[in-house]
Amino acid sequence: MTGFGLDQFEVNLFDRATTVLAQADEPIVRWKWIGDHTAEIRTALVQHLELTLIAVVVGFVLSMLLSLLILRFRVTFAPINAITGVLYAIPSLALFVLLVPITGLTTLTAEIALVSYTLQILVRSIVAGVDGVSPAVRDAAAGMGYTRGQRLWRVEMPLALPVIMSGLRIATVTTVGLVPIAGLLGSDQGGLGQLIFDGLNRFFNTPLIVGAVLTVLLAVVLDVLLVQLEHLLTPWTRATRKARKAQRRRASRAAATNPATKAATNPATNAAAT
Amino acid sequence: MIGLDHVRKVFPGAGGPAVGDLSFEIPEGEIVTLIGPSGCGKSTTLRMINRLIEPTSGTVTVAGTDVMQRKPNELRLGIGYVIQQVGLFPHRTIARNVATVPELLGWDRARIDARVGELLELVGLDADFGDRYPGELSGGQQQRVGVARALAADPPVLLMDEPFGAVDPIVRARLQDELLVLQKELHKTIVFVTHDIDEAIRLGDRMAVLNVGGVLEQYGPPTEVLADPANDFVLRFIGAERGLKRLSLLPVSSAELDPGPVVSSATPIAEARRIMADHHVDWVAVVDDGRVAGWVDGAQFNGQASVAETEVRPFALTLRKDDTLREALDTLITSPTRVAVVVDEDQRYLGMLDVAGIGEGVS
Repeated sequence: MTGFGLDQFEVNLFDRATTVLAQADEPIVRWKWIGDHTAEIRTALVQHLELTLIAVVVGFVLSMLLSLLILRFRVTFAPINAITGVLYAIPSLALFVLLVPITGLTTLTAEIALVSYTLQILVRSIVAGVDGVSPAVRDAAAGMGYTRGQRLWRVEMPLALPVIMSGLRIATVTTVGLVPIAGLLGSDQGGLGQLIFDGLNRFFNTPLIVGAVLTVLLAVVLDVLLVQLEHLLTPWTRATRKARKAQRRRASRAAATNPATKAATNPATNAAAT
Repeated sequence: MIGLDHVRKVFPGAGGPAVGDLSFEIPEGEIVTLIGPSGCGKSTTLRMINRLIEPTSGTVTVAGTDVMQRKPNELRLGIGYVIQQVGLFPHRTIARNVATVPELLGWDRARIDARVGELLELVGLDADFGDRYPGELSGGQQQRVGVARALAADPPVLLMDEPFGAVDPIVRARLQDELLVLQKELHKTIVFVTHDIDEAIRLGDRMAVLNVGGVLEQYGPPTEVLADPANDFVLRFIGAERGLKRLSLLPVSSAELDPGPVVSSATPIAEARRIMADHHVDWVAVVDDGRVAGWVDGAQFNGQASVAETEVRPFALTLRKDDTLREALDTLITSPTRVAVVVDEDQRYLGMLDVAGIGEGVS
């Protein structure tokens, strides 16, 4: 192996998985094994969820602090973005290997790696969300008498929520997908990754499939929950969308029934009509 | 109330100053319109009053206090602010938008709710608008909310930066009317930036005509600016129809009314003929018991005993004393008698105006 030999390792892992799943004499899933190991599976799932939530929450808090720094001092954007970009670019396996000598085969190692992957996407979405607030709204907020801080927390952050939430969804789903790799740190690590590595090590495809399927399901469920949360937090986006749609419908109906009234369907004259 | 004293603003990297050396005073309770071409620093001037822009030198005072001596947010809580793009907070309902400043001032819930209801009514919006979001409203409705939000904590000063610039002409005219009605009741000190000369003339108790670089070319009541432009720049800026624009500012009561060729129904025809001849016209107005019945065409006179036996035609339009001379002019040129008849609230005849009479009103 040259260097960390990561590419070679990943190829081997892939070969191994293919070999395991291709065993002709083995059924795809042994249901009995699942029934006998529900406690283990549940533990792995709970750990997976824990690792994910800790990583996302810590990542979000760190990202918020970094974003506040950027929003206050613009010059910090380039260096912060560069650093989080490098962290994001390091292959997860390499990061684990780099951290093990310092933090050992611990949950801390796993979390450091997981958190560092969330930073880039979260910092970028928070900053982009706040930057996306219309200058008129910003100007009005300042003119009303909001202090800088009040303006940020009561106007800009709430309006940035849709963008921040989409970043949070990507960060969460990515983290769910990365947690299993932490299974390399030991047989008690990596959430559902334990099952996956167990399957690979023993050439036994049932735990491999259970781990993989549950990982996907967990990602989907968390994503749906976050969509619901966004829905609850941003009622105004729906009201606005609905109004725009109704306006367009009215406009196209008017245009369809009488082409001559087309001029009357532009927003300015609609305003006059109401 | 608001004073600018040798105010100068230079933006970093700009060629010349946005505002060079500007001094003028805005009296309490008046609407002052700032008008000029783009680059004249009218918005910059406005934004220096609430410190959204800070002057490079010179002082801006509000109620006698240098604005630079006050915390920006505290200063702004006492100054209403309305902008062209409205800038309502999209994530808050209309009621919460209007409640912005009262909430910042820490009013209690009940007082805020009562005030919001009051303001929505004041700007002509139904109470059920309170629960909607800004995105659900038309441009004109949004701007009404913008005005309500600015008035929420009853600030003595209102800054308006082209507030009606983004709505269509019909809505704009209505919003202008409403602002004038509101002002009659509220007596705010209003600084109003516009690039629309008609709007500046219509709304301003005074208008400040600014040239590029914040040079104050003329400052005074619109009638004065229109009657006596200070220089070529002002003259060119006012544009065509200076006389008509002035007429639209002057009330009918500023002209002297002519009693006119008036008879009663009982007047004999011979007498009516004599009155027509005296006034060099071929018609007479018929006024009975002080009220205008209409007018009679002299060509009809053909052996009748009195005016009562002829056909009396009503005047299509009559004017009140507080109508403008421009309306009077419009009325008389569309009337076959070439006069505009003026009555009081009880439709009692006050007199009439012809072109000469209007001309004297303007001079």
